[in-house]
Amino acid sequence: MKNENQKWMCDFLLENGIENLVGVPDSTLKHFIAEGSKLKKNIIATREEEAIGIGTGMTLSNSPTIIYMQNAGFANSISTITSLVKLYSIPLLFVIGWRGYLKNDAPEHELVGKIQPKLLKLINLESRVVTDTNWKNNSKWALNKIQQQIPCALIVRRMNVE
Amino acid sequence: MLNKNTAIKIILKNIDGPIISANGHISRNLYSVKDLDSNFYMIGSMGLASSIGLGVALKNKNKRVFILDGDGNILMNLGSLTTIGILAPQNLVHFILDNESHESTGGQPTHSNKIQVEKIGKITNYTVFKIEKILELEKVLKKIRKMKGPIMILIKISQKSKIGRRIEIKPEAIKQRFSKSLKN
Repeated sequence: MKNENQKWMCDFLLENGIENLVGVPDSTLKHFIAEGSKLKKNIIATREEEAIGIGTGMTLSNSPTIIYMQNAGFANSISTITSLVKLYSIPLLFVIGWRGYLKNDAPEHELVGKIQPKLLKLINLESRVVTDTNWKNNSKWALNKIQQQIPCALIVRRMNVE
Repeated sequence: MLNKNTAIKIILKNIDGPIISANGHISRNLYSVKDLDSNFYMIGSMGLASSIGLGVALKNKNKRVFILDGDGNILMNLGSLTTIGILAPQNLVHFILDNESHESTGGQPTHSNKIQVEKIGKITNYTVFKIEKILELEKVLKKIRKMKGPIMILIKISQKSKIGRRIEIKPEAIKQRFSKSLKN
């Protein structure tokens, strides 16, 4: 996603009900995260499961929260998503950077990148892939989901590898 | 040495506010001692009671928020101590019931007899108390009423306390009544 669209998506979500961002940084989401920090809405956790825990506490306090991470961290979080987020129906909005989408990405992303869509389906976490053209509609979709107490995910593909 | 149920009973007599309790026997014992809408029983997601408690504390600055943790749980999420230490919520009180073992899974050692969690608490900016006797616990619980957090109270407890009954409330109901209790 283009830098300015990442920024605008963050602004849009914060203007439409989201009050906090908690997560573990990902270069794919660099400009999205930077905007959250600039607006002083961002907490950087030490690992993804911790971020989900903090976000759960905030959501229980009626303060809607985004949890951001890279897909490697998403794989780390499967147990927390099944035994906390899904079990209690905690309406968190996940924003996940998708490394390993391109075939020439770094080797550590290859396998987890390949199984990313299947992992989402297996744990029954509803998701949409956001792009430069559909980010606003898909953000609205996600905000609507969490209003219905349904956790969901927006996926941002890594389109260039440095 | 204190027994887990005794420790929980004394804590409940002396505090007022939401409690986030660690999975396993700790949540079961809390549930058996006194079930309250303001108790969040974490059933799975081992390690995360301190993080959930941090999120609640940051968003409810007018309330004291209590985390009822275990040694196995906190050792699984030591990173949360650095995040709590950095954000330093003044309303956060973190109890660690330390029996030096994974009691819920058969008493396997956690090694908290060799590595002192209270020392980690100190270097992560907590005000720390270590308790070994009932009278000390009662005294500290009174003392902290006027103190600012984050406060860590590590309580050494005996192994093999009586197991509490299984939590019969559905997770979604635990969530709903806990959330509602925070609005008061």
